[in-house]
Amino acid sequence: MRWRAPIQRLLALVRRRRLDLELEAEIEAHLEMAERDARQAGLSAEEARWEARRRFGGIEQIKEEHRDQRSVRWVETRAREFRYALRTLSRTPGFTAMAVLTLAIGIGATAAVFSLIQGVLLTPPPYKEPGQLVLISSDRTDGQQQESPRPWPAAQWLEWQREVKSLQSIAAYGWAFNFLILPDGVESFEAMLVTREYFSVVGLEPVLGRKFLPSDTAPSATPVCIIGYELWQRRFGGNPNILGQTVRVSRQDAPFEIVGVMPPGVRFLPAPNAAREPNYDVNALVDIWLPIAPGPNPEALKRPQWSIVGRLAPGFTREQAQAELALITARQAQADRDFAGFAPKVQSLTSEYNRDGERILLPLFEAAALVLLIACGNVAALLFVRGLGRQQEYAVRAALGIGRAQLFCEVCIESLLLALVGGALGAGLAVLAVRAFKLIGGHTVPRLDAVTTGWPVLLFGLGLALIAAILAGLFPAWRASRLDPNEVLKGAGPRATAGRGERRLLQIVTMAQAALTLVLLVGAGLLIRTMINIWKAPSGYKTSHILAMTVTAVEGNWSDFHRRALDRVSTLPGVQSIAFAWGVPLTGNNWTAHVIIEGQPAPATQNEAPQVPLRSVTPGYFELLGIPLIEGRDFRSSDDDSAPQVVVVNSAFADRYFSGTTALGKKVWLFGPDKAPGTIVGVVANSRTDDLTRQASPEIYLSFWQARAYSKHLLIRTEADPLSIASAVHTALREINPYAAVEHIKTFDQIRNDSLASRRFAMQLLVGFAVVGCLLTLVGIYAVLSLSVASRRHEIAIRITVGAEYRDIRNLIFFDGFRLIAGGVAAGLGGALVLSRALRSFLYEVEPSDPATLVAVAIMFTGVALLACWAPVQRATRMDPMKILRC
Amino acid sequence: MSKRRRDLPYGTLDLLIMKTLETMGEMNGYRIARRIEQVSGDALKLSQGAIYPALIRLEQEGWIRARWGISETNRKVKFYSLTKAGRKQLKAEVEAWEQANALVARFLEAAL
Repeated sequence: MRWRAPIQRLLALVRRRRLDLELEAEIEAHLEMAERDARQAGLSAEEARWEARRRFGGIEQIKEEHRDQRSVRWVETRAREFRYALRTLSRTPGFTAMAVLTLAIGIGATAAVFSLIQGVLLTPPPYKEPGQLVLISSDRTDGQQQESPRPWPAAQWLEWQREVKSLQSIAAYGWAFNFLILPDGVESFEAMLVTREYFSVVGLEPVLGRKFLPSDTAPSATPVCIIGYELWQRRFGGNPNILGQTVRVSRQDAPFEIVGVMPPGVRFLPAPNAAREPNYDVNALVDIWLPIAPGPNPEALKRPQWSIVGRLAPGFTREQAQAELALITARQAQADRDFAGFAPKVQSLTSEYNRDGERILLPLFEAAALVLLIACGNVAALLFVRGLGRQQEYAVRAALGIGRAQLFCEVCIESLLLALVGGALGAGLAVLAVRAFKLIGGHTVPRLDAVTTGWPVLLFGLGLALIAAILAGLFPAWRASRLDPNEVLKGAGPRATAGRGERRLLQIVTMAQAALTLVLLVGAGLLIRTMINIWKAPSGYKTSHILAMTVTAVEGNWSDFHRRALDRVSTLPGVQSIAFAWGVPLTGNNWTAHVIIEGQPAPATQNEAPQVPLRSVTPGYFELLGIPLIEGRDFRSSDDDSAPQVVVVNSAFADRYFSGTTALGKKVWLFGPDKAPGTIVGVVANSRTDDLTRQASPEIYLSFWQARAYSKHLLIRTEADPLSIASAVHTALREINPYAAVEHIKTFDQIRNDSLASRRFAMQLLVGFAVVGCLLTLVGIYAVLSLSVASRRHEIAIRITVGAEYRDIRNLIFFDGFRLIAGGVAAGLGGALVLSRALRSFLYEVEPSDPATLVAVAIMFTGVALLACWAPVQRATRMDPMKILRC
Repeated sequence: MSKRRRDLPYGTLDLLIMKTLETMGEMNGYRIARRIEQVSGDALKLSQGAIYPALIRLEQEGWIRARWGISETNRKVKFYSLTKAGRKQLKAEVEAWEQANALVARFLEAAL
């Protein structure tokens, strides 16, 4: 029965009114009966009533005790204080709106970034116990960076599977890009090639059908595939009878039978070997899984292109697995020179999975938290200043016997109420902000598409509200409870002034705000400078008025399609020039060759020759992009299979390998010394093809008609808005070949912007946060200075009467403000030096401690902040000393 | 705001009310108060109203139950009676009380 009374008490809170009425009825009946008994004992009516009351005792006292007895007193008191706070706040709507809005902005910003973190970083991938999964790659033992990932874990994983104790199971996987040929058109897809063990290693169970069986990879087996939930919904309408149906895939003879459907939300595992493929997107949802079929040769399972994933055995750590693998490798290195100098690297999947997200989200979260702190500072100042105005009231109540603890509680509850309303509003703002992030964020934050806003965000917002209430409310509450009623009541009338010590404290709060704002501004400034630097960096090509799209003819005659496509599209109205190209700048290019170069010392093996990226382009490509031809000639459409192979190199290539002489006419062997070499016929200027922030490196261009690229871009230079002709081009291409996949239709400007998207996203958010923080701080400076002027008005009045000039007063107050700002700026510069390092990976040609940015931001902020001092200064100089001194 | 000072040791009033209800059966608040006064004579200085907070407490604990009835002055009033749990509680409390009494008595004798 122990629970009974507490529940009853809680219920009594709700039934308060009814219980009061019931008690009243009982008391009345009681008194009536007592009165009747007294009358019967011989008292007069008057005496009887008096006697009944006397014997009953104090009625109000009994009622109060009844209330205490039946319910939870603490809750009732707090509820009363809450109602009181609500009333007080609603009496000053301006103050309340200001405080609530300030908090809502701070909480909203933080909760919005948090919901990104929650969706991107805290939501684990849909594997079984993802924390146990590890990715195994290799690392140089001498600690140097490797140029490209060494594929040897792939060569060993089958042996590891047998020997290693710290790993429960191991599987190999790879990434592939191909096209589905469907009745209504061709669609590209990204696929995962996996060994049979893969699904049990990561712990994925199909929602429909089965996983791969050993028989699926037998040489004579029918090709099978498993499709992703999203592809199933998108392309097959979630058809429950999908199993057993077949799909055609380009460049594959036999159609694939669908044997299973995987659960929603499964994304790729990082495949470093494919990272530079143009269409590689590790954060994409997997469309299709295909079994790695070794065919007649089981060595196919050890091909270097595979990546390796393993699951730690129970009780083993990542470090133990690493040590065990290192031991095995060291042993093998003695037998096989290929393994020497390398050690296995065992990485946790989740940390790899979250690396890109952390890189961008954690600095933004920091920035949002700074905004929240600034907001808290403002609300603390607001509450404090308001507390000054209510000193009289507090003092009177303290004199009447209200406890310090209760006054403290009251002010705390007021700030709590403000924070809760602010928190709820902030959570709402966060939902809107997340929508905006998704709109401007696009691909910059991995898996942004999976972010949703729900209860966690609201809860987080309310949690922040509690923290904010404590930060903002504690000091004003403490101060209210420490008032000495004697001192306050001795002073005359209600005042809005503060003592020296209190003003100093407020000034420290404002300085802290200014410092935090400066940190934000420096971050924003650094990112703005980065964008300017990138803008100014010579890309080497023009991006305006160019339409780009990927075009792939999955069936039919290759060169016929491309020649007809060029002819047809170039006659469309509005088209100036047109070119096909593999390896268009900023779209990724994984095609490289180890090149033997005439005049260079011959390498021992082809693999030791310098590795140079290759690109394949049609004549006119360089002119279309505005890449100047320095020497020699462009490709001709006659440079085809029947003509000797020709290449064009960029000037970085010419300078490195043929400095002091001409590159023209020199030979390069791209595909081995025994194959025919290509002759350099032209040299073009450098361009930043990989990344706008990276200097050009040596590159080789091949003639499109000699080096057939399966998937490639069509570039069109247009007279007007490039997108306006997109659909005409699309139609023309589909008319030439209905099996042409035309995808990723974008302007080249868009491609350029997309390559900078994460920097721009970080910049936009940081600039937004900095502006909000700046505004809040300006309000704070204004408020503190106004208070200071009000508090010192006697002093100022005296100064004026004894002959101080307008200028003196102005300087006095300005100096006050300047001290405040300068203190904040100094502290902020220190903070910025530390915190800006978080942005390092986003910066380009500017250091986190860039003095020019620091100085510029400091001067700018000081200037703007001094403007906030203007109104208080005006007020100080316009005082009428006689009026002030008389009262 | 401060707790009302009691003239009785804590819990005594509860015991008196429950004992009264056990002997007399269902009664209203006034009758309970009168009965306690009569039995204790002048030994107890208690305002009658004090039984109401005690009654609500006992009711919330589930030891007594209340139902609305009509008083001798024709008014709606609550009539209280002991529940099964109340009887058990009363028995336990009486035992505890007697034990404590005996202990204190022995102690006082020994001290003499």
